[in-house]
Amino acid sequence: MATRPVDLLLGRLMRKAVAAPPVAAEGSRALALFKAWLPALVILLLLLVLPSFVPSYIQSLVTKMMIFALFGVSMNILWGYGGIPTFGHAAFFGFGGYVCGILIIHGGIANFWVNLVLVMVITALLGAGLGIPAFRVYGVGASDNPIYFLLVTLAFGELLVRVAISARSLTGGSTGLSGIPYPDLGIGVSINSYSYYFLVLGIVAVCLLVIYRIVNSHYGYALRGIHDNERRMQALGFNTWLYKYTSYIIAGMFGGVAGCLFAYFGGTMVPNNMGMAMTDIVFLIVILGSASVYFGPVIGAVIVVGVDYLASMYMPERWPLIMAAIIVVVIMFIPQGVGVLLLDLWRKVFHGSAA
Amino acid sequence: MSTFTITALNGVSYAFILFLLAAGFSLTFGVMGVLNLAHGALYVLGAYFGLAVIAQLDQFWLGVVIAALGTGLLGLGIYYLFLRHLYDKVPEQAVLTIGLGYAIANIILWVWGPFAKMGMTPSAFTGVVRVGTLAFPIYRLVIIVIGLLVLALLWWMQDKTRVGAIIRAGMDNKEMTRSLGINYGVVSTLVFLFGAALAGFAGILGTPILGAYPSMGDALVLLTLMVVVVGGTGFIQGTMLGALIIGLLDTFGKAYVPSVALFTSYVIFIVVLLVRPSGLIGRKVF
Amino acid sequence: MAALLEVSGLSVHFGGLAAVKDVTFSIEPGERLVMIGPNGAGKTTLFNLLTGQLKPSGGKVLFKGQDITHKPVYARTQLGMARSFQITSLFPNETVLTNALIALQGTRGGRYRMFGVFTRDKVLRSAAQELLESIDLWDKRSETVSSLAYGETRKLEMGLSLASSPDLLMLDEPSCGLTPTESKDITERINTLGKKITVLMISHDMDLAFGVAERIILLHFGEISCEGTCDEIRANQTVKDIYMGSHKASTAGG
Repeated sequence: MATRPVDLLLGRLMRKAVAAPPVAAEGSRALALFKAWLPALVILLLLLVLPSFVPSYIQSLVTKMMIFALFGVSMNILWGYGGIPTFGHAAFFGFGGYVCGILIIHGGIANFWVNLVLVMVITALLGAGLGIPAFRVYGVGASDNPIYFLLVTLAFGELLVRVAISARSLTGGSTGLSGIPYPDLGIGVSINSYSYYFLVLGIVAVCLLVIYRIVNSHYGYALRGIHDNERRMQALGFNTWLYKYTSYIIAGMFGGVAGCLFAYFGGTMVPNNMGMAMTDIVFLIVILGSASVYFGPVIGAVIVVGVDYLASMYMPERWPLIMAAIIVVVIMFIPQGVGVLLLDLWRKVFHGSAA
Repeated sequence: MSTFTITALNGVSYAFILFLLAAGFSLTFGVMGVLNLAHGALYVLGAYFGLAVIAQLDQFWLGVVIAALGTGLLGLGIYYLFLRHLYDKVPEQAVLTIGLGYAIANIILWVWGPFAKMGMTPSAFTGVVRVGTLAFPIYRLVIIVIGLLVLALLWWMQDKTRVGAIIRAGMDNKEMTRSLGINYGVVSTLVFLFGAALAGFAGILGTPILGAYPSMGDALVLLTLMVVVVGGTGFIQGTMLGALIIGLLDTFGKAYVPSVALFTSYVIFIVVLLVRPSGLIGRKVF
Repeated sequence: MAALLEVSGLSVHFGGLAAVKDVTFSIEPGERLVMIGPNGAGKTTLFNLLTGQLKPSGGKVLFKGQDITHKPVYARTQLGMARSFQITSLFPNETVLTNALIALQGTRGGRYRMFGVFTRDKVLRSAAQELLESIDLWDKRSETVSSLAYGETRKLEMGLSLASSPDLLMLDEPSCGLTPTESKDITERINTLGKKITVLMISHDMDLAFGVAERIILLHFGEISCEGTCDEIRANQTVKDIYMGSHKASTAGG
């Protein structure tokens, strides 16, 4: 059985799992590892040199794509791996952004790293707080329809929107919080929209690597097992509640990081960033890109943010119609997502056979 | 005392608008298990479309009927083209219908512009009823009466008719109902048509009181969810109860403790979901 | 020697209807106990009470002297109970090997580890090889479970239940849907388990029941109707009346 580098890179297909490759000898294993990570390295290098070749608006577009890629991948910990359909993931994104902005504007904390750590801690605490009531209504196993969980998480997001609207002195009310400056790294380098691109690239790359490690770890496989068959997992001795609860916190935390990066990027945060519309967009990013492929949401983010950009240039008023059209096409015709299609294509081209 | 009475009457009439708004959703969600989050947008469409028809024809009730029919047909299309194929895929249903909701809102914006509309109260129902020193608009009483009629109709359908029996059986066991040779597909398509038509009906009737603006659907669909979930899924009397609770709570909250009124409904919603997910007098649909 | 599992006065009601009524019995270490009973006798309900999937309305369950009446399913597994499922309950989208790896991980340390590649865990992999070889599925390790034949999934089902090296193995209709030959295979497998594993089984399959049991309990209308050795049960008139009759009838009807 040949090692398929693409499986290691794009994340093994969960639903069409391929066999674990036999553990190879040290030398060839290092080579296999290198080959596996080659596409990722190539993409990273391309992204590093990209700003030298493209105009600044493209660079800014790619920054946004990277932020939404992290947003999508963070949600996919829950939906793709754990099988948990949260409809309040935008709450963490927006909340992270607000915490970031409030810490800078009202808290006087300028240092980016301090801010980032605080955002992660506070959004994780939000997840820990909301997760306990939310998972009370989440049934066990696939036989139970998770509709009540879906509604609770939706309600949490909308509740936070209302809180942001009414806590005017802190959040700026319905017009939002504005005037968030570019981050201060505390090392004497001033950040502008050009260098912010590299900061986002670094943070997103690290986060994606960490999440990749998590979903392929012992913990990650337990989460996949819960997705497939929660009752069996309990019978095998896994405390499935704890896995679901912690994955909710972890996903929320990375969602918060994405929101924090987004707050710096746009300089503003509005209540609707936590609401239903944003949740719908991130769900679309995940489904469009393929929930069953690790890098799927990255592809989804590139497409959705790209189309959003084109729409904002040519027909900014019709964006909801375009989005609805994409949703319809994806859900009705390619429910498995574009990622799976690309993965199959890749295998055909490079390995002579489709999965 | 008089403020209290007026607030109570306002609350009750608001509750009946909520009931009309939520009744259609309650049918499709509670009975068929289809999550149509574009329901709020259908209400708004009913309002705008109805107002346009009324302006053209100068006929209030004809406008109401046409608005209901129009949204009903659109809902039928949504069900027949999309939701029918997404049986048991609730997250996908949600993603799709949220998107469609925004698309409908966008079309409303496109056709009728961004301005809020206030419906014209039909001339027959302008004016107020006076009881002692209190004055209460007649139109609000009309809404209460229409709400009661719709409640009676749905209750009768639910308990006394063959359609009601089929959907109740379908709630308990869809496969079984199918295997009995009952054409569940046709029945559920009709139920969906009726549910969407009710949204448009509520939209045009509610506009003289609530007004309408293109992006109103968001707030409405959340209100709908609250009403249906709090009252209980699966029974029309649950929807009425939920509408009364949310309607009165909201009205009294705004009148007496405006600072927290924005959240009270949400808090009730979340508490009910956590303590009794099937609602106060509902049954678990899923 | 103290009993491994002690059940006393266990009851559960579903809306006024008692599905299991005042059931009391115990299992000695190393014993093979089989529960039989006609359809609707409450076998599966009792089973779910013992595994923790259902909460009892009354009564007590002691395991190794510890009160586990209100312990969740996973905690019971950690204490040394394991169960199989009547309806095959695997991870259909994963390979046979990954199924074994996940199952083995359930009662081992490090199951919350977030770093390190799970499928490359050497300790787990060698344990998985041992487990899969014991159920003759090592050669099929790279296949996705959904592509296995039915008999193979039943074997894997048993294998996953044994992954935690349980002291008490609870089997729910292990021969469900199998051919007589395959069913015989299962009987043999249970009998070669060794006395370190205590077995509690519920079964419809009389050949399997008599082939495995040292003691049989007959459940009827949620109550223990009678219990005894295989010979005693064979000879018992009540059993003939309420079970064998209906069993034959249903066999003839089917």
